[in-house]
Amino acid sequence: MSSTSLSPHSPASAAHRDPFFASIILLLWVLLALFVLYPLACLFGRAFVDGAAISLQPLLDVVNNPHHRRAFGNSLILALAVGIGGTLLGFLFAFTAVRGGLSRRVIGFIDTATLLPLISPPFTISVAILFSFGARGLITYDLLGIKGYAIYGFLSTAAAEMITYFPIAYLTLRPILASIDPNIENAAFSMGASRARVFRTMTLPLSMPGIANAFLLLFACSLADFATPLILAGNDFPVLPTEAFLQITGQFDLRGGALLSILLLVPAAIVFFLQRYWLAGRSFVTVTGKAGSRSSVEILTPPMRFALFALCGAVSIVVLYFYALLLFSSLVVAFGANHTFTFKHYQVIFTEGLPAIRDTLIIAAIGMPLGGIYGVVVGYLVARKQFWGRQSLELVSMINYALPGTIVGIAYLLAFNDKPMELTGTAAIIIACYIFRYSPTGIRATIALLHQVDKSLEEASESLGAKSSTTFRRITLPLIMPAFFTGLGVVFIRSMTAISATIFLISINWTLVTVRILENMTELSLGPAAAFSVLVVAIVYVVLFLIGRMLARFRALEGGRVESILGG
Amino acid sequence: MKLLNHALKLLLAAAALTATLVVPMTSAYAAETLNVYSIWPENWARPMLQEFEKASGIKVNFLRFSSGEALARLIAEKGNPRVDVLFGGPVETYGAGVKEGIFEAYKPPSAAALPARFRHEGGMWTAIADDPLVFMTNKKFLADNKLAAPTSWNDLLNPAYANMLQMADARTSGTAVTRIFSILEVNGRNEEKAFDYIKKMRKSIQTYTKSGGGGTLPVGLGQAAGGIFFIVDALDTKAKGYDVEISFPKEGIGSAAEGIAMVKGAKNPESAKKLIDWATSPAMQSLYAPNKINFIPAHPSVKTEASLAAILKDAKIIPIDDEYAGANRKRIVERWVQEVLNAK
Repeated sequence: MSSTSLSPHSPASAAHRDPFFASIILLLWVLLALFVLYPLACLFGRAFVDGAAISLQPLLDVVNNPHHRRAFGNSLILALAVGIGGTLLGFLFAFTAVRGGLSRRVIGFIDTATLLPLISPPFTISVAILFSFGARGLITYDLLGIKGYAIYGFLSTAAAEMITYFPIAYLTLRPILASIDPNIENAAFSMGASRARVFRTMTLPLSMPGIANAFLLLFACSLADFATPLILAGNDFPVLPTEAFLQITGQFDLRGGALLSILLLVPAAIVFFLQRYWLAGRSFVTVTGKAGSRSSVEILTPPMRFALFALCGAVSIVVLYFYALLLFSSLVVAFGANHTFTFKHYQVIFTEGLPAIRDTLIIAAIGMPLGGIYGVVVGYLVARKQFWGRQSLELVSMINYALPGTIVGIAYLLAFNDKPMELTGTAAIIIACYIFRYSPTGIRATIALLHQVDKSLEEASESLGAKSSTTFRRITLPLIMPAFFTGLGVVFIRSMTAISATIFLISINWTLVTVRILENMTELSLGPAAAFSVLVVAIVYVVLFLIGRMLARFRALEGGRVESILGG
Repeated sequence: MKLLNHALKLLLAAAALTATLVVPMTSAYAAETLNVYSIWPENWARPMLQEFEKASGIKVNFLRFSSGEALARLIAEKGNPRVDVLFGGPVETYGAGVKEGIFEAYKPPSAAALPARFRHEGGMWTAIADDPLVFMTNKKFLADNKLAAPTSWNDLLNPAYANMLQMADARTSGTAVTRIFSILEVNGRNEEKAFDYIKKMRKSIQTYTKSGGGGTLPVGLGQAAGGIFFIVDALDTKAKGYDVEISFPKEGIGSAAEGIAMVKGAKNPESAKKLIDWATSPAMQSLYAPNKINFIPAHPSVKTEASLAAILKDAKIIPIDDEYAGANRKRIVERWVQEVLNAK
């Protein structure tokens, strides 16, 4: 009950009134400057500064190169396809899970299948697709008898990325859909609106912030993904991240790679601003502090429910089949040549591979809570507070996510190899990279959730005299817990599975399981690679299960109010 | 609410833990250790470096990268290198490294015994092995198409191979660069003729892979019919049990030296020299055969293992001229990217 009795409607002066709030903003800017802007500046320096002169000529050369223009176009087409397709798939899954009236067990099955692509290294799906649909694929050749099927190109790349990334859309959309009180839909329905009309005029608009967020996240994921195109795109469908990666690792051309990645920033920024503008004019308030008791589901007819369930089931089975293939290759001597059962690949990873497993777990365990807090704090400030530079803060926090990982890795390597910030060779550089690269999922999830929660809840708290820290802790935090756990989960999962940026940041002292997997794949040791992947999947499952238990306890303590956000 | 407070405290504790964990991680390495980037895959580098640890008592930390990545790292770390030695990898990589100024000259005692193509004149790198290219084809594919294993470069232009060949991308892979220089050599270094051939072969390429061995598994599984690989990778594929055939073109095929070099500004130069001395001598190279590593020893006093020698017996191997390759590498790769890779 200090100086906060001022009107809550003059939030521009919040920073002056509240030193806690001001110091958080300052801390965030320092962190972002250090781990986002400074490395980027080093990268731009490398790209444009030649001796003492600054030159734009290299950029013009890149833009004028028809091959690079083609790669640019391909990247956009791919990202659009993956963004739209993945969001659609994620929405269908989320809608089915929330409104399908499915039993807990069925939802558990769908959850399991959708989580698998999220919690394994990105190239596992690509390799499974190659083995299944390639020239001598299990499905194309053995099952369908198609000879010499040309797998490489747009179609397989888009399919692999959609399957890999749609769970992000599912994770983003499910809490949003769950937070739409079915009683509202049912009320409209019982007043005579058709199902289509209820869906079109209520469900869809209410979930728009989630859909927009999911699309943005998937678009950015695809734009930055280099592992999938590297394996599946072939030579006739070059995309920018892969070209940038090859430019750097192949032709030792840091400048060329930096320039190509700078091209990638343009579409990422456009999508970002479009989404902001699109969301700005709409209101999505459904939680007003009053609990709505759950009621029977009426929005879907039984045949519609069955169709949705069949579709989700089919996709889930395809995903499970891919992972059965992975498990199989971890348990046989040599996939495709000698199918004798063996545990020797697991012996290898628990002896020679043990340091990598230990390092990865330490790094993930440290990065997870830090990334979760960071995501919720940034998301909350951006969605709820007015302060100078708010939009810039949001934009800057998204940069490392939108940039191809290879470029972030190289930028970090350039920035932190020398004094004053000598971090290469430490775990800190890998942890920092993960936090600033993968927390945007948590940030966006927080923003999306807060767009749905009426601000008056917090305003009431502040006008009653609570400090912003107290309001955040006691009012907002419980409300955004689902987003916090989404962010927590994603940072942990990515710490276990990401490779593109950190392949440059691993060192003699700190190495990662994913790098070992890629090494094993290039060394023809498919068995250990598969065994490592299975282990990663198992570890992440255990941790996510524990997080789920935590979440369940929160729910029990907070009662119905939080449950209306968390959904079933 | 209590639980929330609890969770927050826990998370803050984790943050504090980060600080305490990370600070000691930045400290210097122990006294008698050596840090190495290896371009050789782990399953070959590990036994070799373990033997060195036994022989010298020096603890070796190593990390494996493909040649392009290793080079990019060494360039980025220039001025404050994290490692002392670059171990293995084709000579093109070392040529590029010399240009970037990332190596320190050191001539090991064995260098004097080596032929000129196995050592840098200024001592920037020394060869530890020789690695010829081979044709590798899937036997089932050959049987299905009633073909014999290819024994001429022109055999690969057979329409049966259309869209069925996989080999490495010249932007990333030393294997690919060695392949292109092989084609130049068999065409008498006539670039027009060589590129004419490469463009014809391009029509049969399924995909160019990032790493030199990237196509071996697809060929082993029959996803691709065949490709051009280093003999180490090809024999490894065969040893894993995949049904592949190894053959050589009668016109000849190139071979690349595998190198070792000391990194400029190495923090453990004395240990680095000991490893280079050991690796360039018979002490290490006589261990290739017992470890089933199918490199040809660079040192003249180490015999090539009998079964490997038998495979190579009738093959016409063309050593890649280091000087010619070094002088033309960049231009040739750029031409390949423009005229071959991007051709529609």
